[in-house]
Amino acid sequence: MSGISSLPGSTDKNPTPFYPDHLFVEGVAAIAVFLVIVLIAFVWQVPLEEMADPGDTAYVPRPEWYFLFYFQLLKYFEGSLAVVAIVVLPALTLALLVLLPFLDRSAATGIRKRPLTAALALASVLCIAALTALSVLEDESHLYTMDLPPVTDEQIAAGEEIFGRFCQICHSVDGKGGFMAPDLTQIGARANRAYIEQVIIDPQIVNQATIMSVIPLSDAERHEVSAYLSRKK
Amino acid sequence: MNRIYQFIDERLHLGPLISEIANHPVPDHANLLKTPKAIIYCFGGMVFFILLLQVLTGVFLMFYYVPSPDHAYASVTYIRQETAFGGLLQSVHRVGASAAVVMVMLHMLRVVLTGSYKNPRELNWVVGVFLLLLVAGFSFTGYLLPWDQKAYWATTVGVNMIAGIPLIGGFLADALRGGSEVGALTLTRFFVIHVMVLPALLTIFLAAHFFMIRRQGISRPL
Ligand code: HEC
Ligand code: HEM
Repeated sequence: MSGISSLPGSTDKNPTPFYPDHLFVEGVAAIAVFLVIVLIAFVWQVPLEEMADPGDTAYVPRPEWYFLFYFQLLKYFEGSLAVVAIVVLPALTLALLVLLPFLDRSAATGIRKRPLTAALALASVLCIAALTALSVLEDESHLYTMDLPPVTDEQIAAGEEIFGRFCQICHSVDGKGGFMAPDLTQIGARANRAYIEQVIIDPQIVNQATIMSVIPLSDAERHEVSAYLSRKK
Repeated sequence: MNRIYQFIDERLHLGPLISEIANHPVPDHANLLKTPKAIIYCFGGMVFFILLLQVLTGVFLMFYYVPSPDHAYASVTYIRQETAFGGLLQSVHRVGASAAVVMVMLHMLRVVLTGSYKNPRELNWVVGVFLLLLVAGFSFTGYLLPWDQKAYWATTVGVNMIAGIPLIGGFLADALRGGSEVGALTLTRFFVIHVMVLPALLTIFLAAHFFMIRRQGISRPL
Protein backbone atom coordinates (compact mmCIF):
# COMPACT_ATOMS: atom_id res chain seq x y z
CA MET A 1 0.00 0.00 0.00
CA SER A 2 2.87 2.38 0.66
CA GLY A 3 4.67 4.29 -2.02
CA ILE A 4 1.76 6.24 -3.42
CA SER A 5 1.80 9.02 -0.87
CA SER A 6 3.55 11.46 -3.13
CA LEU A 7 1.38 12.65 -5.93
CA PRO A 8 2.27 11.90 -9.50
CA GLY A 9 3.34 15.17 -11.02
CA SER A 10 3.35 17.07 -7.77
CA THR A 11 5.66 20.08 -7.86
CA ASP A 12 4.76 21.69 -4.55
CA LYS A 13 7.56 22.34 -2.06
CA ASN A 14 5.65 21.91 1.18
CA PRO A 15 2.34 20.25 0.44
CA THR A 16 -0.14 20.30 3.31
CA PRO A 17 -0.94 16.93 4.85
CA PHE A 18 -4.51 15.72 4.45
CA TYR A 19 -4.82 15.18 8.20
CA PRO A 20 -5.26 17.36 10.18
CA ASP A 21 -4.81 20.54 8.13
CA HIS A 22 -6.85 19.79 5.06
CA LEU A 23 -9.55 17.91 6.91
CA PHE A 24 -9.95 20.97 9.12
CA VAL A 25 -10.58 23.20 6.09
CA GLU A 26 -13.04 20.69 4.68
CA GLY A 27 -14.72 20.60 8.09
CA VAL A 28 -15.16 24.38 8.11
CA ALA A 29 -16.60 24.26 4.59
CA ALA A 30 -18.92 21.42 5.62
CA ILE A 31 -20.21 23.41 8.60
CA ALA A 32 -20.92 26.35 6.29
CA VAL A 33 -22.85 24.09 3.89
CA PHE A 34 -24.70 22.53 6.82
CA LEU A 35 -25.76 25.91 8.20
CA VAL A 36 -27.04 27.06 4.83
CA ILE A 37 -29.07 23.86 4.39
CA VAL A 38 -30.59 24.08 7.88
CA LEU A 39 -31.38 27.75 7.40
CA ILE A 40 -33.21 27.12 4.13
CA ALA A 41 -34.97 24.10 5.65
CA PHE A 42 -36.06 26.25 8.58
CA VAL A 43 -37.44 29.10 6.50
CA TRP A 44 -38.95 26.90 3.81
CA GLN A 45 -41.06 24.15 5.32
CA VAL A 46 -41.50 21.30 2.85
CA PRO A 47 -45.01 21.48 1.45
CA LEU A 48 -47.11 18.37 1.94
CA GLU A 49 -50.16 18.25 -0.28
CA GLU A 50 -53.36 16.27 0.15
CA MET A 51 -52.99 12.52 0.48
CA ALA A 52 -52.59 10.71 -2.85
CA ASP A 53 -55.89 10.14 -4.64
CA PRO A 54 -55.47 7.68 -7.53
CA GLY A 55 -58.92 8.67 -8.81
CA ASP A 56 -58.09 12.35 -9.30
CA THR A 57 -56.75 12.17 -12.83
CA ALA A 58 -57.11 15.93 -13.34
CA TYR A 59 -54.16 16.59 -11.06
CA VAL A 60 -51.17 18.07 -12.90
CA PRO A 61 -47.98 17.15 -11.03
CA ARG A 62 -44.70 19.00 -11.17
CA PRO A 63 -41.34 17.32 -10.61
CA GLU A 64 -38.58 18.51 -8.31
CA TRP A 65 -37.06 21.75 -9.60
CA TYR A 66 -33.92 20.04 -10.87
CA PHE A 67 -35.99 17.82 -13.17
CA LEU A 68 -37.99 20.78 -14.52
CA PHE A 69 -35.71 21.22 -17.53
CA TYR A 70 -36.51 17.68 -18.63
CA PHE A 71 -40.21 18.17 -17.91
CA GLN A 72 -40.09 21.21 -20.18
CA LEU A 73 -38.20 19.30 -22.86
CA LEU A 74 -40.89 16.64 -22.89
CA LYS A 75 -43.48 19.24 -23.83
CA TYR A 76 -41.75 19.79 -27.18
CA PHE A 77 -41.93 16.13 -28.16
CA GLU A 78 -45.52 15.00 -28.17
CA GLY A 79 -47.18 11.90 -29.55
CA SER A 80 -45.00 9.72 -31.73
CA LEU A 81 -42.06 12.09 -31.19
CA ALA A 82 -42.05 11.31 -27.46
CA VAL A 83 -39.52 8.57 -28.13
CA VAL A 84 -36.98 11.28 -28.97
CA ALA A 85 -37.28 12.83 -25.52
CA ILE A 86 -37.52 9.65 -23.47
CA VAL A 87 -35.00 7.46 -25.30
CA VAL A 88 -32.90 9.16 -27.96
CA LEU A 89 -31.84 12.33 -26.15
CA PRO A 90 -31.15 10.68 -22.75
CA ALA A 91 -29.22 7.85 -24.42
CA LEU A 92 -27.15 10.30 -26.46
CA THR A 93 -26.43 12.44 -23.41
CA LEU A 94 -25.41 9.45 -21.36
CA ALA A 95 -23.22 8.09 -24.15
CA LEU A 96 -21.57 11.47 -24.58
CA LEU A 97 -20.92 11.70 -20.83
CA VAL A 98 -19.45 8.22 -20.55
CA LEU A 99 -17.35 8.64 -23.67
CA LEU A 100 -16.15 12.19 -23.01
CA PRO A 101 -12.69 11.15 -21.73
CA PHE A 102 -12.24 8.84 -24.70
CA LEU A 103 -13.34 11.43 -27.27
CA ASP A 104 -11.40 14.38 -25.86
CA ARG A 105 -7.98 12.74 -25.62
CA SER A 106 -5.59 15.62 -26.16
CA ALA A 107 -3.13 16.29 -23.36
CA ALA A 108 -4.36 19.88 -23.01
CA THR A 109 -6.24 20.54 -19.79
CA GLY A 110 -6.63 24.32 -19.90
CA ILE A 111 -10.18 25.22 -20.87
CA ARG A 112 -9.00 27.75 -23.47
CA LYS A 113 -7.12 25.02 -25.27
CA ARG A 114 -10.27 22.88 -25.56
CA PRO A 115 -12.81 25.10 -27.34
CA LEU A 116 -15.10 22.23 -28.35
CA THR A 117 -15.46 20.78 -24.87
CA ALA A 118 -15.81 24.26 -23.43
CA ALA A 119 -18.54 25.11 -25.92
CA LEU A 120 -20.37 21.85 -25.22
CA ALA A 121 -20.21 22.36 -21.47
CA LEU A 122 -21.38 25.94 -21.76
CA ALA A 123 -24.18 24.95 -24.15
CA SER A 124 -25.40 22.22 -21.77
CA VAL A 125 -25.45 24.58 -18.81
CA LEU A 126 -27.29 27.24 -20.82
CA CYS A 127 -29.82 24.72 -22.20
CA ILE A 128 -30.61 23.37 -18.75
CA ALA A 129 -30.89 26.88 -17.31
CA ALA A 130 -33.08 28.10 -20.17
CA LEU A 131 -35.42 25.09 -20.07
CA THR A 132 -35.75 25.40 -16.30
CA ALA A 133 -36.53 29.11 -16.60
CA LEU A 134 -39.10 28.45 -19.33
CA SER A 135 -40.76 25.81 -17.23
CA VAL A 136 -41.05 28.15 -14.27
CA LEU A 137 -42.33 30.99 -16.44
CA GLU A 138 -44.88 28.82 -18.18
CA ASP A 139 -46.99 28.88 -15.11
CA GLU A 140 -49.21 25.96 -14.24
CA SER A 141 -52.06 27.72 -15.99
CA HIS A 142 -50.45 27.23 -19.37
CA LEU A 143 -50.84 23.50 -19.05
CA TYR A 144 -54.53 24.04 -19.63
CA THR A 145 -55.73 24.25 -23.19
CA MET A 146 -59.26 24.57 -24.52
CA ASP A 147 -61.04 25.50 -27.72
CA LEU A 148 -62.56 28.87 -26.96
CA PRO A 149 -64.54 31.34 -29.10
CA PRO A 150 -62.57 34.48 -29.96
CA VAL A 151 -62.89 37.41 -27.58
CA THR A 152 -65.29 40.20 -28.62
CA ASP A 153 -66.01 43.57 -27.04
CA GLU A 154 -69.59 42.51 -26.26
CA GLN A 155 -68.26 39.45 -24.43
CA ILE A 156 -65.94 41.58 -22.34
CA ALA A 157 -68.74 43.96 -21.37
CA ALA A 158 -71.10 41.10 -20.52
CA GLY A 159 -68.30 39.38 -18.61
CA GLU A 160 -67.72 42.43 -16.47
CA GLU A 161 -71.39 42.46 -15.56
CA ILE A 162 -71.42 38.74 -14.64
CA PHE A 163 -68.23 39.15 -12.65
CA GLY A 164 -69.85 41.95 -10.62
CA ARG A 165 -72.84 39.74 -9.89
CA PHE A 166 -71.18 36.39 -9.02
CA CYS A 167 -67.54 36.91 -8.26
CA GLN A 168 -66.95 40.35 -6.81
CA ILE A 169 -68.21 39.50 -3.32
CA CYS A 170 -64.97 37.52 -2.95
CA HIS A 171 -62.58 38.85 -5.61
CA SER A 172 -61.55 42.42 -6.20
CA VAL A 173 -60.63 43.99 -9.53
CA ASP A 174 -59.11 47.47 -9.84
CA GLY A 175 -59.56 48.02 -6.12
CA LYS A 176 -63.29 47.19 -6.05
CA GLY A 177 -64.69 44.04 -4.50
CA GLY A 178 -64.19 41.56 -1.68
CA PHE A 179 -60.97 40.62 0.00
CA MET A 180 -61.72 36.96 0.75
CA ALA A 181 -60.04 35.84 -2.47
CA PRO A 182 -57.01 36.80 -4.58
CA ASP A 183 -57.15 40.11 -6.37
CA LEU A 184 -57.74 39.44 -10.08
CA THR A 185 -56.66 42.83 -11.44
CA GLN A 186 -53.72 41.21 -13.22
CA ILE A 187 -55.00 37.67 -13.64
CA GLY A 188 -54.63 37.90 -17.43
CA ALA A 189 -50.88 38.40 -17.05
CA ARG A 190 -50.31 35.36 -14.88
CA ALA A 191 -52.84 32.93 -16.34
CA ASN A 192 -54.32 32.11 -19.71
CA ARG A 193 -58.02 31.99 -20.55
CA ALA A 194 -58.33 28.22 -20.45
CA TYR A 195 -57.04 28.22 -16.89
CA ILE A 196 -59.66 30.78 -15.82
CA GLU A 197 -62.36 28.63 -17.42
CA GLN A 198 -61.06 25.57 -15.62
CA VAL A 199 -61.09 27.37 -12.27
CA ILE A 200 -64.73 28.33 -12.78
CA ILE A 201 -65.64 24.75 -13.75
CA ASP A 202 -63.63 23.20 -10.93
CA PRO A 203 -62.25 25.67 -8.34
CA GLN A 204 -60.46 22.81 -6.58
CA ILE A 205 -57.68 22.81 -9.18
CA VAL A 206 -56.38 25.95 -7.46
CA ASN A 207 -56.59 24.57 -3.98
CA GLN A 208 -58.20 21.36 -2.80
CA ALA A 209 -59.72 23.09 0.22
CA THR A 210 -60.78 26.28 -1.50
CA ILE A 211 -63.81 28.22 -0.37
CA MET A 212 -64.57 29.19 -3.95
CA SER A 213 -67.74 27.40 -4.91
CA VAL A 214 -68.79 26.02 -8.27
CA ILE A 215 -70.89 28.81 -9.73
CA PRO A 216 -73.53 27.52 -12.16
CA LEU A 217 -72.83 29.64 -15.24
CA SER A 218 -73.88 28.65 -18.75
CA ASP A 219 -71.05 27.95 -21.22
CA ALA A 220 -71.68 31.33 -22.90
CA GLU A 221 -71.60 33.17 -19.58
CA ARG A 222 -68.39 31.41 -18.58
CA HIS A 223 -66.76 32.39 -21.88
CA GLU A 224 -67.79 35.98 -21.22
CA VAL A 225 -66.24 36.07 -17.74
CA SER A 226 -63.05 34.42 -18.96
CA ALA A 227 -62.86 36.86 -21.87
CA TYR A 228 -63.21 39.78 -19.47
CA LEU A 229 -60.66 38.46 -16.97
CA SER A 230 -58.10 37.41 -19.56
CA ARG A 231 -57.91 41.08 -20.66
CA LYS A 232 -57.06 42.15 -17.10
CA LYS A 233 -53.30 42.56 -17.33
CA MET B 1 -6.28 6.93 24.81
CA ASN B 2 -2.69 6.16 23.90
CA ARG B 3 -2.75 2.89 25.82
CA ILE B 4 -5.91 1.77 24.07
CA TYR B 5 -4.44 2.73 20.70
CA GLN B 6 -1.25 0.83 21.49
CA PHE B 7 -3.24 -2.23 22.53
CA ILE B 8 -5.10 -2.25 19.24
CA ASP B 9 -2.09 -1.34 17.13
CA GLU B 10 0.09 -4.12 18.60
CA ARG B 11 -2.52 -6.63 17.53
CA LEU B 12 -3.78 -5.20 14.23
CA HIS B 13 -0.81 -3.14 13.11
CA LEU B 14 -2.90 -0.23 11.93
CA GLY B 15 -0.10 2.34 11.72
CA PRO B 16 0.71 2.11 8.00
CA LEU B 17 -2.96 1.89 7.06
CA ILE B 18 -3.85 5.02 9.00
CA SER B 19 -0.93 7.02 7.68
CA GLU B 20 -1.88 5.82 4.22
CA ILE B 21 -5.31 7.38 4.65
CA ALA B 22 -4.34 10.44 6.67
CA ASN B 23 -0.86 11.54 5.67
CA HIS B 24 -1.05 12.05 1.96
CA PRO B 25 -0.12 15.56 0.92
CA VAL B 26 -2.68 17.90 -0.58
CA PRO B 27 -1.32 19.90 -3.52
CA ASP B 28 -1.28 23.68 -3.17
CA HIS B 29 -3.67 24.37 -6.02
CA ALA B 30 -6.35 22.33 -4.24
CA ASN B 31 -5.66 23.85 -0.85
CA LEU B 32 -8.00 26.57 0.37
CA LEU B 33 -5.42 27.73 2.92
CA LYS B 34 -3.04 28.60 0.11
CA THR B 35 -5.34 29.89 -2.63
CA PRO B 36 -9.03 30.86 -2.62
CA LYS B 37 -9.40 29.43 -6.11
CA ALA B 38 -9.09 26.01 -4.52
CA ILE B 39 -12.75 26.29 -3.55
CA ILE B 40 -13.67 24.48 -6.77
CA TYR B 41 -11.80 21.44 -5.48
CA CYS B 42 -14.04 21.40 -2.40
CA PHE B 43 -17.24 20.55 -4.24
CA GLY B 44 -16.68 16.79 -4.33
CA GLY B 45 -15.97 16.70 -0.62
CA MET B 46 -19.11 18.76 0.00
CA VAL B 47 -21.22 16.30 -1.99
CA PHE B 48 -19.84 13.56 0.23
CA PHE B 49 -20.65 15.54 3.36
CA ILE B 50 -24.22 16.20 2.19
CA LEU B 51 -24.67 12.49 1.41
CA LEU B 52 -23.63 11.69 4.99
CA LEU B 53 -26.18 14.24 6.19
CA GLN B 54 -28.83 12.54 4.04
CA VAL B 55 -28.00 9.17 5.58
CA LEU B 56 -28.27 10.60 9.09
CA THR B 57 -31.56 12.46 8.55
CA GLY B 58 -32.85 9.50 6.55
CA VAL B 59 -32.26 7.15 9.46
CA PHE B 60 -34.31 9.36 11.77
CA LEU B 61 -37.11 9.63 9.22
CA MET B 62 -37.16 5.85 8.90
CA PHE B 63 -37.80 5.47 12.63
CA TYR B 64 -41.34 6.68 11.98
CA TYR B 65 -42.01 6.24 8.28
CA VAL B 66 -44.29 3.37 7.20
CA PRO B 67 -44.13 2.42 3.50
CA SER B 68 -47.74 1.50 2.86
CA PRO B 69 -50.43 3.53 1.08
CA ASP B 70 -52.62 3.42 4.19
CA HIS B 71 -49.98 4.72 6.56
CA ALA B 72 -47.28 6.54 4.58
CA TYR B 73 -49.08 9.88 4.46
CA ALA B 74 -50.17 9.65 8.10
CA SER B 75 -46.67 8.72 9.25
CA VAL B 76 -45.18 11.69 7.40
CA THR B 77 -47.81 13.97 8.93
CA TYR B 78 -46.92 12.47 12.30
CA ILE B 79 -43.22 13.20 11.77
CA ARG B 80 -44.04 16.80 10.81
CA GLN B 81 -46.47 17.55 13.59
CA GLU B 82 -45.81 15.29 16.56
CA THR B 83 -42.11 14.49 16.76
CA ALA B 84 -39.49 16.86 18.16
CA PHE B 85 -37.93 18.82 15.27
CA GLY B 86 -39.65 16.40 12.86
CA GLY B 87 -40.68 19.11 10.43
CA LEU B 88 -37.16 20.50 10.38
CA LEU B 89 -35.75 16.99 9.93
CA GLN B 90 -37.92 16.35 6.91
CA SER B 91 -37.09 19.76 5.47
CA VAL B 92 -33.36 19.21 5.93
CA HIS B 93 -33.61 15.86 4.12
CA ARG B 94 -35.48 17.50 1.24
CA VAL B 95 -33.25 20.59 1.02
CA GLY B 96 -30.20 18.34 1.39
CA ALA B 97 -31.31 16.41 -1.70
CA SER B 98 -31.42 19.64 -3.70
CA ALA B 99 -28.08 20.74 -2.29
CA ALA B 100 -26.51 17.41 -3.29
CA VAL B 101 -27.73 17.88 -6.86
CA VAL B 102 -26.36 21.44 -7.02
CA MET B 103 -23.01 20.35 -5.61
CA VAL B 104 -22.73 17.34 -7.93
CA MET B 105 -23.30 19.63 -10.88
CA LEU B 106 -20.69 22.11 -9.67
CA HIS B 107 -18.29 19.23 -9.04
CA MET B 108 -18.82 17.87 -12.54
CA LEU B 109 -18.33 21.31 -14.04
CA ARG B 110 -15.03 21.74 -12.23
CA VAL B 111 -13.86 18.32 -13.45
CA VAL B 112 -14.77 19.32 -17.00
CA LEU B 113 -13.23 22.79 -16.78
CA THR B 114 -9.94 21.50 -15.35
CA GLY B 115 -9.87 18.64 -17.86
CA SER B 116 -9.51 16.25 -14.94
CA TYR B 117 -11.29 13.41 -16.73
CA LYS B 118 -8.30 12.90 -19.01
CA ASN B 119 -5.65 10.22 -18.86
CA PRO B 120 -5.17 8.64 -16.32
CA ARG B 121 -8.56 9.51 -14.77
CA GLU B 122 -10.94 8.28 -17.49
CA LEU B 123 -12.24 5.43 -15.36
CA ASN B 124 -12.94 7.67 -12.41
CA TRP B 125 -14.98 9.93 -14.66
CA VAL B 126 -17.06 6.92 -15.74
CA VAL B 127 -17.55 5.96 -12.09
CA GLY B 128 -18.62 9.58 -11.58
CA VAL B 129 -21.30 9.29 -14.26
CA PHE B 130 -22.74 6.31 -12.37
CA LEU B 131 -22.68 8.37 -9.16
CA LEU B 132 -24.67 11.04 -10.98
CA LEU B 133 -27.27 8.46 -12.02
CA LEU B 134 -27.44 7.16 -8.45
CA VAL B 135 -28.10 10.64 -7.10
CA ALA B 136 -30.90 11.05 -9.67
CA GLY B 137 -32.27 7.64 -8.64
CA PHE B 138 -32.42 8.69 -4.99
CA SER B 139 -34.38 11.74 -5.99
CA PHE B 140 -36.85 9.87 -8.19
CA THR B 141 -37.61 7.12 -5.64
CA GLY B 142 -37.69 9.49 -2.66
CA TYR B 143 -40.28 11.73 -4.28
CA LEU B 144 -42.97 9.04 -4.04
CA LEU B 145 -42.51 8.22 -0.36
CA PRO B 146 -44.67 10.98 1.27
CA TRP B 147 -47.60 9.58 -0.76
CA ASP B 148 -49.25 12.94 -1.32
CA GLN B 149 -50.86 14.02 -4.58
CA LYS B 150 -47.64 15.41 -6.03
CA ALA B 151 -45.72 12.26 -5.09
CA TYR B 152 -48.30 9.94 -6.60
CA TRP B 153 -48.87 11.76 -9.86
CA ALA B 154 -45.27 12.76 -10.49
CA THR B 155 -44.30 9.11 -10.13
CA THR B 156 -47.16 8.06 -12.40
CA VAL B 157 -45.89 10.46 -15.07
CA GLY B 158 -42.30 9.30 -14.55
CA VAL B 159 -43.10 5.61 -14.83
CA ASN B 160 -45.38 6.22 -17.82
CA MET B 161 -42.37 7.76 -19.53
CA ILE B 162 -40.39 4.62 -18.89
CA ALA B 163 -43.30 2.65 -20.32
CA GLY B 164 -42.87 4.67 -23.52
CA ILE B 165 -39.48 3.10 -24.24
CA PRO B 166 -39.90 0.83 -27.27
CA LEU B 167 -39.83 -2.97 -26.73
CA ILE B 168 -38.69 -3.16 -23.10
CA GLY B 169 -40.56 -0.14 -21.71
CA GLY B 170 -43.74 -1.94 -20.77
CA PHE B 171 -41.89 -4.66 -18.91
CA LEU B 172 -39.66 -2.17 -17.08
CA ALA B 173 -42.60 -0.03 -16.01
CA ASP B 174 -44.57 -3.02 -14.74
CA ALA B 175 -41.54 -4.30 -12.84
CA LEU B 176 -41.01 -0.90 -11.24
CA ARG B 177 -44.68 -0.49 -10.35
CA GLY B 178 -45.26 -4.09 -9.34
CA GLY B 179 -48.33 -4.03 -11.57
CA SER B 180 -50.05 -1.83 -14.07
CA GLU B 181 -50.68 1.09 -11.72
CA VAL B 182 -48.79 2.96 -9.03
CA GLY B 183 -49.94 1.36 -5.79
CA ALA B 184 -48.92 -0.47 -2.62
CA LEU B 185 -46.29 -2.58 -4.38
CA THR B 186 -44.79 0.46 -6.07
CA LEU B 187 -44.42 2.17 -2.72
CA THR B 188 -42.61 -0.74 -1.05
CA ARG B 189 -40.39 -1.17 -4.11
CA PHE B 190 -39.43 2.48 -4.23
CA PHE B 191 -38.85 2.47 -0.48
CA VAL B 192 -36.51 -0.53 -0.61
CA ILE B 193 -34.66 0.90 -3.60
CA HIS B 194 -34.36 4.26 -1.82
CA VAL B 195 -33.08 2.96 1.52
CA MET B 196 -31.33 -0.32 0.60
CA VAL B 197 -30.40 -0.80 -3.04
CA LEU B 198 -29.20 2.69 -3.90
CA PRO B 199 -27.22 3.20 -0.66
CA ALA B 200 -25.45 -0.12 -1.23
CA LEU B 201 -24.59 0.80 -4.82
CA LEU B 202 -23.58 4.30 -3.72
CA THR B 203 -21.18 2.84 -1.16
CA ILE B 204 -19.53 0.65 -3.76
CA PHE B 205 -19.16 3.40 -6.35
CA LEU B 206 -17.99 5.96 -3.79
CA ALA B 207 -15.36 3.51 -2.56
CA ALA B 208 -14.15 3.09 -6.14
CA HIS B 209 -14.23 6.87 -6.67
CA PHE B 210 -12.18 7.62 -3.56
CA PHE B 211 -9.78 4.75 -4.11
CA MET B 212 -8.98 6.07 -7.56
CA ILE B 213 -8.56 9.63 -6.30
CA ARG B 214 -5.99 8.39 -3.77
CA ARG B 215 -4.20 6.25 -6.32
CA GLN B 216 -4.02 8.92 -8.96
CA GLY B 217 -3.87 12.07 -6.88
CA ILE B 218 -5.67 15.27 -7.71
CA SER B 219 -5.00 16.40 -11.24
CA ARG B 220 -2.30 19.00 -11.81
CA PRO B 221 -3.03 22.72 -12.05
CA LEU B 222 -3.90 24.15 -15.44
C1 HEC C 1 -66.85 32.38 -2.14
C2 HEC C 1 -65.87 33.26 -2.62
C3 HEC C 1 -65.51 33.19 -4.12
C4 HEC C 1 -66.34 33.44 -5.19
C5 HEC C 1 -67.82 33.78 -5.17
C6 HEC C 1 -65.51 33.30 -6.36
N1 HEC C 1 -64.24 32.96 -6.02
FE1 HEC C 1 -62.68 32.70 -7.29
N2 HEC C 1 -61.48 32.21 -5.75
C7 HEC C 1 -61.84 32.26 -4.41
C8 HEC C 1 -60.69 31.93 -3.61
C9 HEC C 1 -60.63 31.89 -2.08
C10 HEC C 1 -59.63 31.67 -4.51
C11 HEC C 1 -58.20 31.28 -4.19
C12 HEC C 1 -58.03 29.81 -4.20
C13 HEC C 1 -57.68 29.32 -2.85
O1 HEC C 1 -56.50 29.41 -2.52
O2 HEC C 1 -58.57 28.87 -2.12
C14 HEC C 1 -60.17 31.86 -5.84
C15 HEC C 1 -59.42 31.69 -6.99
C16 HEC C 1 -59.84 32.08 -8.23
C17 HEC C 1 -59.02 32.10 -9.41
C18 HEC C 1 -57.56 31.67 -9.50
C19 HEC C 1 -56.67 32.81 -9.11
C20 HEC C 1 -55.22 32.50 -9.29
O3 HEC C 1 -54.42 33.39 -9.00
O4 HEC C 1 -54.88 31.38 -9.68
C21 HEC C 1 -59.79 32.54 -10.43
C22 HEC C 1 -59.36 32.73 -11.89
C23 HEC C 1 -61.09 32.79 -9.89
N3 HEC C 1 -61.09 32.50 -8.56
C24 HEC C 1 -62.17 33.25 -10.64
C25 HEC C 1 -63.44 33.41 -10.12
C26 HEC C 1 -64.58 33.79 -10.94
C27 HEC C 1 -64.52 34.07 -12.43
C28 HEC C 1 -65.64 33.84 -10.10
C29 HEC C 1 -67.09 34.17 -10.46
C30 HEC C 1 -67.67 33.33 -11.47
C31 HEC C 1 -65.18 33.51 -8.77
N4 HEC C 1 -63.83 33.25 -8.83
C32 HEC C 1 -65.99 33.50 -7.65
C33 HEC C 1 -63.09 32.60 -3.90
C34 HEC C 1 -64.19 32.90 -4.65
C1 HEM D 1 -21.93 11.11 -5.31
C2 HEM D 1 -21.34 12.05 -5.94
C3 HEM D 1 -19.83 12.36 -5.92
C4 HEM D 1 -18.95 12.49 -4.85
C5 HEM D 1 -19.29 12.35 -3.35
C6 HEM D 1 -17.64 12.82 -5.39
C7 HEM D 1 -16.50 13.09 -4.62
C8 HEM D 1 -15.28 13.47 -5.13
C9 HEM D 1 -14.17 14.00 -4.37
C10 HEM D 1 -14.17 14.24 -2.85
C11 HEM D 1 -13.14 14.26 -5.24
C12 HEM D 1 -11.78 14.91 -4.88
C13 HEM D 1 -11.59 16.25 -5.59
C14 HEM D 1 -12.74 17.21 -5.51
O1 HEM D 1 -13.41 17.25 -4.48
O2 HEM D 1 -12.96 17.95 -6.49
C15 HEM D 1 -13.59 13.85 -6.56
C16 HEM D 1 -12.81 13.87 -7.72
C17 HEM D 1 -13.27 13.50 -8.99
N1 HEM D 1 -14.59 13.30 -9.36
FE1 HEM D 1 -16.12 13.07 -8.06
N2 HEM D 1 -17.74 12.85 -6.76
C18 HEM D 1 -19.04 12.58 -7.12
C19 HEM D 1 -19.57 12.56 -8.40
C20 HEM D 1 -18.82 12.72 -9.56
C21 HEM D 1 -19.36 12.86 -10.89
C22 HEM D 1 -20.86 12.92 -11.21
C23 HEM D 1 -18.29 12.94 -11.74
C24 HEM D 1 -18.29 13.10 -13.26
C25 HEM D 1 -19.13 12.53 -14.05
C26 HEM D 1 -17.07 12.85 -10.97
C27 HEM D 1 -15.77 12.83 -11.48
C28 HEM D 1 -14.62 13.02 -10.71
C29 HEM D 1 -13.26 13.00 -11.24
C30 HEM D 1 -12.85 12.72 -12.69
C31 HEM D 1 -12.42 13.30 -10.15
C32 HEM D 1 -10.88 13.42 -10.18
C33 HEM D 1 -10.58 14.88 -10.38
C34 HEM D 1 -9.13 15.23 -10.17
O3 HEM D 1 -8.32 14.36 -9.82
O4 HEM D 1 -8.84 16.43 -10.36
N3 HEM D 1 -17.42 12.73 -9.64
N4 HEM D 1 -14.90 13.37 -6.48
